[in-house]
Amino acid sequence: MEKVVPQPRPAKQPWNKTSKFASFSGRRGTADAVLVLGSLLLAAVVFSLLLSVLWSVISTGSAAMSPQFLYQNNRYISTTTSLDYGGVGHAILGTLELVLIATALALPLGLAIAVYLTQSQSKLRNMVRAITQALAGLPSVVSGLFVLSIISFLGAQKSGIYGAVALFPLMLPTVARVAEEALRLVPTDLRLAALGLGAPNYRAFFQVILPAAKTGIITALLLGLARVVGETAPLILTIQANNGTNLNPFDGGVATLPTYIYGFISAGYASSISRAWGASLVLLIIVGILFVTARLLTGDKKKKKSKASK
Amino acid sequence: MPEITDKPKAVQVRRTLGKGVLNRGDRLFFGITSAASYFAFILVGLILVFLVAQAWPALQEQGFAFVYGDKWEVTEEKTILQIGPMLYGSVLIALLGVLLATPLAVATAYMIVFILPKGLAKLSTNLIDLLAALPSVIIGLWGVLVFTPIAQGWAEFLHQYLGWIPIFATDKGTTSLNSSPFIAGWIVAVMIVPIITSVTREIFSQFDRELINGALALGATRWTVFRRVILPTTSGGITGGVLLGLGRAIGETVAIYYVLQLSMNINLFQILEPRGGAIASWILSRFGEATDKEFQGLMAAGLVIFITTLVINLIANVIVNRAQPWRK
Repeated sequence: MEKVVPQPRPAKQPWNKTSKFASFSGRRGTADAVLVLGSLLLAAVVFSLLLSVLWSVISTGSAAMSPQFLYQNNRYISTTTSLDYGGVGHAILGTLELVLIATALALPLGLAIAVYLTQSQSKLRNMVRAITQALAGLPSVVSGLFVLSIISFLGAQKSGIYGAVALFPLMLPTVARVAEEALRLVPTDLRLAALGLGAPNYRAFFQVILPAAKTGIITALLLGLARVVGETAPLILTIQANNGTNLNPFDGGVATLPTYIYGFISAGYASSISRAWGASLVLLIIVGILFVTARLLTGDKKKKKSKASK
Repeated sequence: MPEITDKPKAVQVRRTLGKGVLNRGDRLFFGITSAASYFAFILVGLILVFLVAQAWPALQEQGFAFVYGDKWEVTEEKTILQIGPMLYGSVLIALLGVLLATPLAVATAYMIVFILPKGLAKLSTNLIDLLAALPSVIIGLWGVLVFTPIAQGWAEFLHQYLGWIPIFATDKGTTSLNSSPFIAGWIVAVMIVPIITSVTREIFSQFDRELINGALALGATRWTVFRRVILPTTSGGITGGVLLGLGRAIGETVAIYYVLQLSMNINLFQILEPRGGAIASWILSRFGEATDKEFQGLMAAGLVIFITTLVINLIANVIVNRAQPWRK
């Protein structure tokens, strides 16, 4: 930091919003202009890539959209059948089912980990946090292989439940991290007051902290769902495809949106690609709803918090 | 008589909270939460044990050549399973992705924190996070049908004008420059930009404004402030974010599977040549018709990815956590 060259300079360029673009003159101004314009340009690249993805999915996907595309299943549909018949109804149900089973596993565990990280005094907390963070980087294909090896170890048949189990390790770290942040936002005073009134820790948690952190926990749930709802590789490895509707997770194949998309891209015909785009749009809408709801919830809470502090 | 103050008392009360005086309900409460937390270790252990158990016969039979050899032959008489080109390809693509993503991400974070007004900054942050939430199968579909034709144009341009540089050269007779590590690198970059951006943005936004104002008061320009004040103090944290992205890139499966021509003929540096490797995509492509022995080989490949990404992520998180002390 000593290397900053102290040069005399007119004092009219403070670091504030109003005069930001007023000072790009001279040699020193050029460097600044390059920095600002360069970062705007590179960011524009990022946003155009993002918008390109969104726009392609929305514009191409909506061409495949029709009411029956949303509720019909895929029975008697080949890769070249026209889009007048068949849809992703079975895949939507299958995705929801698997994701809900995964949630039933990941939410209680993730919440318990978050509680452990925020409420207990254990010395192992840092290690638990580290391993949870490391799990967040678990490649999805590895999770699939892991469950696949369990299936082959048990000598079992592939079925929906294994797909849900393969989603669980991917969902757990997200739920745990966001829930931990939510619990951390609850003022310590609340907990200490409850304990001071003689409440045991578990009652302080269930009656004081959990209600206060409710929206945060829901956010954790939503972001966890958004994380796994589009996972493809683990499902390809652990469940069998199904063209019909099957809601029994313990027997037979289950269709899901990601594996549906995967299957129809691989087929490669024009109408199968349209189906893939259509299913992508459905998946994108689901992810979008989860994501936006999560953001709105956290936004509300922050507003409330800042209001309360005033 | 010693003076009584509040502070030591408060400290003492807190210390007794977790230990000793717990009633039965609390013991159960903390017991369950601890058990759940230890389960995270058990889960990592279980993944290791199951993968190793399945992969062991293959690893034993193939020996160390599994990691560096370049033959994958499954016939009646012999089985040779080696993943050298795939492993190398994964690293090449991940490095390309990081090389492309880091400037994009740092610039985006800089723009969000230091240039945009508050409302736009928040909108941009949300958009970037949405990009992180996009499923990789959608990125793959977009990558192969929308992005590949565009990037092919870029590749042809690079090849035409910079073809004399070895990395932009191609084999004789290569006509179309798609399905190359170059395109896969871009796809990976799209997926890791949000990761690096969010870490960098967080660090930038907590940056001490006094330091910036001080430097400006000493006569520094905005460029000098960025180059000499912001970057040196935050580069550690940014490195952590980049490593997180690297871990994600190495494990990426479906999107790369669509945009890359997988080949056991190793492609060392010709990034525009339509052949490359990615170990996770290789697992996906071979899995369908795998024999029992091949299946073990794929498990071993999964084990390699798991250990690689686990190590990268552990290191990355240590760095990121150290760079974000306000998170604790």
